[in-house]
Amino acid sequence: MAGEFDLESLVHVEQTFYDTGFKDGFAHGRIHGLIEGRALGREKGFEMWEELGFYEGFAKTWRSMLLGSPQRQGSERIAQHINHLLELISKFPRTNPSSTSVTGDAGEELDISKLQRQIRSRYKVLCSCIGVRPRLQAISEGAGTNEEVDEIDQSGMDIDANITAGGSSIPVWKIDKATGRRSAVTNQDLNY
Amino acid sequence: MYSPWDDDHSGQNTQHQEAEWTKLSNDFTNAGYREGITAGKESALQEGFDTGYADVGAPIGRELGILRGMATVTLNLLDGQSKMLQNVPEDKDKLLAEARDISTQLSRIRFSDIMPPDLEAEAHAREHLQIQGEELDVHHDVQNKKDIETLEDRLENLNREEDSQFQGLRPTAESTKELRERLYTVIKRLGLGATFV
Repeated sequence: MAGEFDLESLVHVEQTFYDTGFKDGFAHGRIHGLIEGRALGREKGFEMWEELGFYEGFAKTWRSMLLGSPQRQGSERIAQHINHLLELISKFPRTNPSSTSVTGDAGEELDISKLQRQIRSRYKVLCSCIGVRPRLQAISEGAGTNEEVDEIDQSGMDIDANITAGGSSIPVWKIDKATGRRSAVTNQDLNY
Repeated sequence: MYSPWDDDHSGQNTQHQEAEWTKLSNDFTNAGYREGITAGKESALQEGFDTGYADVGAPIGRELGILRGMATVTLNLLDGQSKMLQNVPEDKDKLLAEARDISTQLSRIRFSDIMPPDLEAEAHAREHLQIQGEELDVHHDVQNKKDIETLEDRLENLNREEDSQFQGLRPTAESTKELRERLYTVIKRLGLGATFV
């Protein structure tokens, strides 16, 4: 009887030590998680929005150019491309949708990578209309260009349907998706 | 008080028991700490990511991207790649040189040059340094990028040995502002409003 009591008490005391350690570790781990996550999010946000911003600045400057010469041949078509491109960019989230999707409209899920592909090919179409070389980034990162352009041209005005339809793929980029490796979070990697 | 460890009442082994007790306490506390830090880290990564993305990365990236996009168009217009420019200004060559320089300088800017410091991260790193003499761990991707940038710097400095004026000088957030002003000036000269963005 006394032996059983000892064992139980021992287990309990081990658990208490463990729990105390866990609580402290958890608090410290959170600090590191926030710091590391912030660093990653900064990089990713910069990378994505530098590209989108480029297209935005590009399109708006050309639009301003066209406004000064509305009679030019083909300018109407170019203006249409510009408006499409800007419309797509305006749909791109400036915050990671994972944080807002909890409260946001569940029916309206964004397919980020699809939207990004659409923006890139729309930009390339605009470039060829104007007759300038597209930025290197857009060429190298958009494989299968023709196919995508076709897809866009078919969808035409129906862009909204395309964006909201993507329910199968992951609508937000999670940390492990952004980095491509989950193994980053292991005991070996942590200093404490 | 009754203690389950105290079955030898002679008291001779107290020291030994105390050591055992301390060891037990340390072992389990450490094990808990290790697993706690992993769990805590995982619980906060996404939150940190979202903050960094929305508060720093996206707005700064967008700002620089827009400037680069605008600079590219002014360059396109001036170097004749597109024949869109209607009223060619008489000092076109001068404007072209200016647009080239702005464009080059904008392309030199890295995120690490213009992003605000993560003060909390720096403070925490200092804490670690003081307590354990350790450096804060950096995520692989971020560390890789840093390493590449260091290499780039060295290469650039090698190429620049003749013209050492710029050696080691990185752009700052202030240079971005200056470049924006210069760019707006060129854009106005081309008859485009600079306030459209």
